[in-house]
Amino acid sequence: MTMKLPPCARVLALTLLCTAPLTLSAQPRFEQSISLSGGLYAASGFGTNFYYDGRYDYFIFGGRYFVEASLGIGSVDSKVLSTVTKAQLFESNNLVTYEFSFAYDYAPTGNFPFILFGVAGIKEGEESTFAGVIGLGKRIPLPGLFGSNSLGFRYDIRDQIMSQRLNNSDPFIVHNISATVGLQIYF
Amino acid sequence: MSESFRIRALMSIVVALMCMRPAGTQAQDTSGKVPSEPPRTSLVNLNDAVSFEVCPHTGMMGSSGTFGLKLMTTYSAFSLELAAEQVIGKTANLYPVSVNAILNLATHGRLIPYGAVGVGLFLTVPTSALGAETVSTLGMNFGGGARYFITRNFGIRIEGKQYVTSVSDSRGLKNDLLFFEEVSIGATFLFH
Repeated sequence: MTMKLPPCARVLALTLLCTAPLTLSAQPRFEQSISLSGGLYAASGFGTNFYYDGRYDYFIFGGRYFVEASLGIGSVDSKVLSTVTKAQLFESNNLVTYEFSFAYDYAPTGNFPFILFGVAGIKEGEESTFAGVIGLGKRIPLPGLFGSNSLGFRYDIRDQIMSQRLNNSDPFIVHNISATVGLQIYF
Repeated sequence: MSESFRIRALMSIVVALMCMRPAGTQAQDTSGKVPSEPPRTSLVNLNDAVSFEVCPHTGMMGSSGTFGLKLMTTYSAFSLELAAEQVIGKTANLYPVSVNAILNLATHGRLIPYGAVGVGLFLTVPTSALGAETVSTLGMNFGGGARYFITRNFGIRIEGKQYVTSVSDSRGLKNDLLFFEEVSIGATFLFH
């Protein structure tokens, strides 16, 4: 007894057979990546300023999970505080953040973004604060770009949640939001 | 079925059993040389060669969050570690920098528990108190933890430690012994 498939089913099966290996092998063969990103950082109570960060990722289980360490720099400059209230909360307006995060990427080669959680140290001026981090993002491989298969694009959104105390105020919960886009190099 | 066929079949079975017998007796003979099996490879084997590890970690010391980095070199059961971290306090940041000796309680496999002891410097840097100065003291630490390797080069590390340091008052008349407990979790990257 022979079973005959209709032509459209044959074409579909052949297409799936041809594309599946490409889809599966697009990312998992890389174990690590570094990326440089730029974007905006909205510090709660201060202004929104440009923000730049570098990230190191280590992928496990074919890229479905990864750990990430990142270092970012920016500013907590606030036009409202400096021009209207003439207040200077910190001696400098430098912002430095560093994060350790763990991420789950449901579909490393699909369209669904990864989710991430971790911890961060945030240095606003001279004040250091320990924060929790949640976020999401997406890694989009760009095979063939500049003749290389190890380049990619990424976007990230992070919420750094922390308890802050300014000028001996009662502690209050703040959310600092960052949104960045960047270039990722796999190796 | 004919009688001659039965006899031939029975004889065939007996001959087959006789042929197998020597092999069976050799299998029980312990004086013979055991055939060499290919060595079983562990996911991580610290006996192979000197290895290096980089361990970023985070955790809690009291109610303060910590960040740190440990660099470690290992041969077999012994490791030497250089550790530095930042403890983010409300009014000051503490920076313990220490050199630690580690005894690995396993040298191969996925799970490597260990005990550690070390000495180091504690730098307390005030952040909000105007005019306050950085204070440095000597101290020691001890504790234990475990590393669980997920791949040959990557694992998770958890650790609990007790830090002890002595702080004297501004006139140097009285010493107070201070104890800090820390728990941390991090990643470890292994290189050969």
